[in-house]
Amino acid sequence: MSATEVVFYIISFVMVAGGLGVVLSRNIVHSALALIMSLGAVAGIYVILTVEFLALAQLVVYGGAVIMLMLFALMLTRARERPQALFGKNRPVALAVAGGLLTAFVAGILGTEWAQSNRDEIEPVPFEEIGDVLFSVWAVPFEVVSVVLVIAMAGAILLSQPDEGER
Amino acid sequence: MPPLENVLVVSAILFSIGVYGVLTRRNAVNILMSVELMLNAVSINMVAFAVYGRVAFDNTFTGIIFAFFIVVVAAAEVALALGIVVRLFRNRATANVDEVNLLKW
Repeated sequence: MSATEVVFYIISFVMVAGGLGVVLSRNIVHSALALIMSLGAVAGIYVILTVEFLALAQLVVYGGAVIMLMLFALMLTRARERPQALFGKNRPVALAVAGGLLTAFVAGILGTEWAQSNRDEIEPVPFEEIGDVLFSVWAVPFEVVSVVLVIAMAGAILLSQPDEGER
Repeated sequence: MPPLENVLVVSAILFSIGVYGVLTRRNAVNILMSVELMLNAVSINMVAFAVYGRVAFDNTFTGIIFAFFIVVVAAAEVALALGIVVRLFRNRATANVDEVNLLKW
């Protein structure tokens, strides 16, 4: 087992622990902090898979923007001021569904013969080649997604405007 | 590099955790967090296939580009969904999805 693999297993453990913290934590703010841990570990996995660009984007967008938005929403909806049941009544069903999905996935993954040659000869993915592909083959989707982002942000602003007569 | 199977299994575990969170949590923001977990699990899958199958896929990096687009669309989705949650809280004074049953029989 190489050093990279050891680091991969450690990061995976952190990621899964963070995920469990998100879904099991009794305090919603703790959930948000566990989400930071989990998404940061996902960035670590991207680094191990040699896609540093995506790791940086992940850290900036999720660690910076998304978590901040979620914490703001938690504060605005005063989630902590009203102690109450955090979980619904369908816990056994959820456990069955999640467990069944996991079993099916793992059985499928381990039952497949993956055609990988020698995994130690996989080359790192350089920044430049991703940029080349992104701005040539994927140029139109790239522009479309930026329009989507603008429309979504404008919609979010519009949604949170107060109604007439309010205030 | 870890074997491809291990990366896939880890992402399957993360996805199942997300499914469990979506089905059990009551708070809408918390459900969104679980959805983020699921999106990230899928991204890991795509990146893993793109990196391990790089030669087979002729250096096109489609999986990596998809993961990049997932990040962008997730940001848009979170902004919109949180706008809806704040709106909901203002109208109904709750952010719990099971208390929002106006359209339910």
